[in-house]
Formats: sequence, C-alpha cells, structure tokens
Amino acid sequence: MAKFTRKQMLAGAAPIVAAAPFARLSLPGHGDSHLSATHEGHEHARLGHAAMIRDHVPATGGPHDLDKLLYPPKALPHKPGRVREYELVAVDKTIEVAPGVQFNAWTYNGTVPGPVIRATEDDLLRVKFHNGGSHPHTIHFHGIHPSKMDGVFEVVPPGDSFTYEFPARPAGMHLYHCHATPLKKHIHKGLYGAFIIDPAKPRPPAQELVMVMNGYDTDGDGENNFYTVNGRSFYYARYPIEVKRGQTVRIYLANLTEFDLINSLHLHGEFFRYYPTGTGDQFEYTDTVVQAQGQRGIIEIDFSNPGDFMFHAHQSEFAELGWMGFFHVTD
Amino acid sequence: MSSRAEAATLGRSWRLWAFVPLVLLTATVALFTAAGGSVTSLLGESPPPLDEFDIRRVEFHPGEIRIRVTNPQRDDLTIASVTVDDAIVPFDVHGPTTLGRLRSSEIVVQYDWVPDEPISVGVTSSSGIETTKEVAAAVRTPEASAKSFFGYALIGTLVGIVPVALGLLWLPSLRRAAPEWLAAFMALTAGLLSFLAVEALSEALELQAALPSALGGAGLVLLGVSLSFLFLTAVSRRLGEGGGGGSSAGGLALATLVAIGIGLHNLGEGLAIGSSFALGELALGTFFIVGFMIHNVTEGLGIASPLAEGRAVRWQRLAVLALVAGGPAILGAWLGGFVTSDLLGVVFFAAAAGAAFEVVVEVGRYVARRAPGGLASPHVLGGFLAGIVVMYVTGLLVA
Repeated sequence: MAKFTRKQMLAGAAPIVAAAPFARLSLPGHGDSHLSATHEGHEHARLGHAAMIRDHVPATGGPHDLDKLLYPPKALPHKPGRVREYELVAVDKTIEVAPGVQFNAWTYNGTVPGPVIRATEDDLLRVKFHNGGSHPHTIHFHGIHPSKMDGVFEVVPPGDSFTYEFPARPAGMHLYHCHATPLKKHIHKGLYGAFIIDPAKPRPPAQELVMVMNGYDTDGDGENNFYTVNGRSFYYARYPIEVKRGQTVRIYLANLTEFDLINSLHLHGEFFRYYPTGTGDQFEYTDTVVQAQGQRGIIEIDFSNPGDFMFHAHQSEFAELGWMGFFHVTD
Repeated sequence: MSSRAEAATLGRSWRLWAFVPLVLLTATVALFTAAGGSVTSLLGESPPPLDEFDIRRVEFHPGEIRIRVTNPQRDDLTIASVTVDDAIVPFDVHGPTTLGRLRSSEIVVQYDWVPDEPISVGVTSSSGIETTKEVAAAVRTPEASAKSFFGYALIGTLVGIVPVALGLLWLPSLRRAAPEWLAAFMALTAGLLSFLAVEALSEALELQAALPSALGGAGLVLLGVSLSFLFLTAVSRRLGEGGGGGSSAGGLALATLVAIGIGLHNLGEGLAIGSSFALGELALGTFFIVGFMIHNVTEGLGIASPLAEGRAVRWQRLAVLALVAGGPAILGAWLGGFVTSDLLGVVFFAAAAGAAFEVVVEVGRYVARRAPGGLASPHVLGGFLAGIVVMYVTGLLVA
C-alpha cells in the first residue's frame, strides 16, 4: 500500500474541506450553553467536527487528568536567595495520546509535557534530575545560567543523577527540554515542559493556566499524526476549561512541537494581550499568536461574554488533528 | 501368486512408510514449540509487527464514507483513530474494532465529502501507525439498486455480448473463404487469445502484488492458471469424444472452447470495469465503451473461425456461444460494482489466462491438422501475428 506524505495530501482538497466545519462552529447560537450541546447531540454528530465539543469528542482520559499540567503551582513573593527544589525523573512510558492510540514516550515524571517548574526571580533553583530511562538524557533550561548548568555537557547516563542549580532569571515564560543527541528524537519523544519565572513585582492576580503545544509522530515518518496542548489530542474540547468572566485569564503558552516549523493559538470571540516571552510590559492586542519551536509568551484574556469559546491552532491541519479546545466562560 | 501377494503387501506398506516423515515433522514441530522460541532468540529480537491495515474499499455515500479494512498480519490490529483528508473524524465500526488475522471490519464516517475532488482516508492502529489510502476522485458509490443492477448489466452487454455477437456475423463470409485463408483466421484466433492470455496473466500478477502478503503470491496466480487450464483440457476431451474428432476438439466443440476461454476473460474484464467505476477510478465515457466494443469484436471472429468448416450451425447455437463468451462481462461488472475484491480479481484473471492458454493449444492442434501447409505456412504465421497486432492496436483504444 502506497503511503502518501502529508504534503501530498494537503495538496489535494484539504483546505476547502478543513475550513467547512470551523465555519459552522463559529455560527452564533451553536453550543452556547452546555444544555443545547447535549440536546442537539445527535444532530451534531452528523455534522462532523461541528459536533466536536464535550461528549462527542474523541479524547482520552477523565475530566481532571491534566490539572497538574494546566494549573501551575502558585507564584511566591520575591525573596532573593530562597531555594526552590524540584525533582525530575526521566522515565520511558507508553502514554495514550488519543483514544486507543499508544505512544512510546520518554517523559519527565511520567507525563508529556513534563511538570511545570516555577520560581520567582532571584530564587535559587535546584532541580534534582535522575535518569530512569533507557537512554542518556539532560535537562536544558532556557534562561540565564552558567554553562555547566546548561544541560549540554553534563549528559546523564541511564541510572545516574545530576543536580542543576542556578539563580532563577530573567522573569518570564520559559521552557526546559532534554538536550541529548539526537536532539530531534529526544524532544519529539516528550522530554520538555514549561518553566515560569515570576517577576520581583508580582503580576496582577488572574486565573493562571499553562499550555504547552506539541505533536506526536506516532508512526515515525517524521510528520506528526496528532497535535495537542498539554499532551492529549482534543482534550480541552472534551473537557472545556472552566473560567470566570470578570477575572483575567493568564495563559503561559509555549511551543514544543517538533517537525513543524511553527504552531499557533487562535481564540474565538475575544481578543487578548500577548506578551512575547513574558519578559516586558509591551503587548500586542490580538486574537492569534504564532510561535516557532521554542518560542513562548504570556496571554491575558478578559472575557466579555459568557459561553463556549473555541481556541485552536490556526493551522487547520493541526486543529483537526487534535489541537483544539474550548473555554467555558461563566459569570 | 506369491509375487502378487508381495506386491499387495508392498502396496500397503508404501502408504505406511509415507506417514513416517509426517509423524517426525509433527514431533519436531512439537519440540520446537515447547522450546518457546528460544532458538530464534539466539538471533536477537524479532521486529515489531508492521501494524498496517489493508484498506480494501472506500465507498462514498451521501454524507457518509465507508472504509473496509482488513488485518493482513499475524498479530491483532486495533482501529484506534480515523482521519479524512488529514483530520481526525468520529467514526463507527461495523464489526470488531480489534481485528484478528485476515478479519475485516467496515468503518463508517459521517462526512460531507466534496464530489469529484481527491480525498484521502487514514486508519491509525493502537500503536500509532497510520495507513492512508488516496482516492483520486470522490464519486458516489452506486447503491445496489435495481437501476444500478441494470446499469452494470447494460455495460456488460455493451462491452461483452454485443461485440462478440457482431464478430460472429463474419461466419457467412468465413464459410466462403479459401482453406488457407480459413487457416489464417484460425491462427488469428490463436494470436488474439495469446494476447488475452498474456494480458490476463500480467493483470493477475499485478493485482496479487498489491494484496497483503498473507493472501497474495504468484503461487495463487499459478493455481488459478493451472486449474482453468486443466479444467478446459478435460472439457475439450469430452467435447472431442462427443464430436468423434479423436483426442482434440474441432468445429463446434472448438468454437465452444474458444467461447469459454473468452468468456472467462470477459468475466475478469467486467470485474475490472465494474470495480474501477464503483471506486471512482474510471470514467465510463463513450469513447471507453466504444473502444472496448472494437477490441472485443475480434473475439467474435475468433469464435466464428472454427465454425467455418463442416455442417452449418443454427443461429440459436451462435446466440449461445455469444452468451457464453460475452455474458460473463455482465456477471463480472456486477461483482466488481457491488462486492469488489482484489482477491477475486486475481483469481478471475488467472483463470482467464489459463483458459486462454489452453484454447491456444487446442486451436494450434486444430490448425496443425487442417491447415494446408501446417503450422509453418505463411498464412498461419501471418494470421497469428495479425491477431496479436489487432489486439494490441485496438487495446490502445481503452488504454
């Protein structure tokens, strides 16, 4: 059986077909409340993707499975020299990325992405790393630190440990990932996560969320078969994220998608402030942001209306391969 | 007496001795299995299964795509995710979701497909391996209705029965031909049958190559060829006995054989046309049908040639011959249109090749016996080559 590359497929009819379901979803009145979505369930199922909210979504797992990845640890007040300790263990683990689809991942602490690491500027960050996997790994943090703490030279063989220690700076949204070679393999297998450094002057209070955009090449052809935020395709379409109108929603967004040059986030029905890398006060007021692999930033949304608001990669292909979700905004 | 008894004992004992290798084989297999594959582990680990599906058939119905998948490998294969044009879609499975070896299921996807545009479907196994199938153009699959049933029958009639019947009308002309020219036309029959045989054989081999390895294999083609060849040999013996023509057939008997051979070929041809059309791979244009008619009219000539000598043949007989040779195209079109299977295609085309080869042999014998100057006469050689050339040239019309 001939296998065709994704590019060849896209060259076909994909763009037209891909656009149709989304056009339908953005129509007012569709799925505005939980009730209507449930009642019109059967009707929706016939419409394909237009039905893709809550029970009709092919996503794996239960409603709170990803809470630890979505909700970061609380920010602590500025206190120079305070030690922030984390323990990360690299483990080989088969994870379910879509219903019934298993992926042989390499993980930090058993999840893809790995745990959220958070510190306040000038904290002394201490990350104890143990390699429980079958290959040599490291942790490479983005930020400012000595070269011997960079996760490039001190490759940790299986069974060994290493402690990374450096002052946390600069404030912003960062990330960490394995830097053992072959790099592409070690990253796409799942060794990465979000790394937040809070500024000395605390950010205004908000409902804080972390979203790490990624993909999985489950058949090893160098192209992703599934795209997700926080590791499971269509998860937040199945379980919309509950947020309050009148409370700022702050998303720490990072792109760790391998194989594709860029990824993006587009929000329906609302605009937001986007702070690139979260390092300054300047923002763009927009509804769509694009990030190259390794880019990240902070999004702040003040929802004007209650209801279900979709968010997804504006690359239709990624959206339809799992990178799509909803906010359920209530008063 | 004693030697006969001895022979009888020997006769029994060779059967007994024949069991020895079988018993030993069973014991060896049991031993090897009991060892639990520890022998193979000396060589290292076996690779993981391919986990690719065999996507047999993709049907397009209003608001719905149906995908028939088979597990071609030894290990179980589970349908976990389905994509259409690279987008994950909700789906239902009619049949098991986890497929054992060679088991099939039908995946049903609610989908608003765009007519006449290319589309691809993908089925992902639980191990994440995606098998994709490209469809050149999404075209509504004909439903099994009285209308489509009639439609396929009409196509089969047009490309099968009509041209063969028309070709048979050369009979009065042939009856008036000189013996050497008659020999030339017989040779032409052999030539065009040779062409059909080679064409069918190549088609069968090509189709089997696309089958999953568990089902395919050139051996399957050989089996089909041999079965039909031997079957037709037996038929020709019977017909030959009936006609009193000795060991080989002649006249009406030979014409019947030629008709059977051509009929088997048209069965395969009908199957190919029907399934290609059903799967949206073929545009059944006027030119295509006309091409097939011209191509197949020569088949009628092939059946008429052996009838040119001897007693006159009643028109009812001719009609039967036309049905035998052309009718299977209808059956093939139905099969192809409604149940399509590449496996069936392999078997039919292999059978067609075997039948055609057999009839070439029969015709060759006949010509050798009757032709003035035998097989090497210029008329015979020229006729044979002309048969091949005619098929080749008219074949271009449907290429």
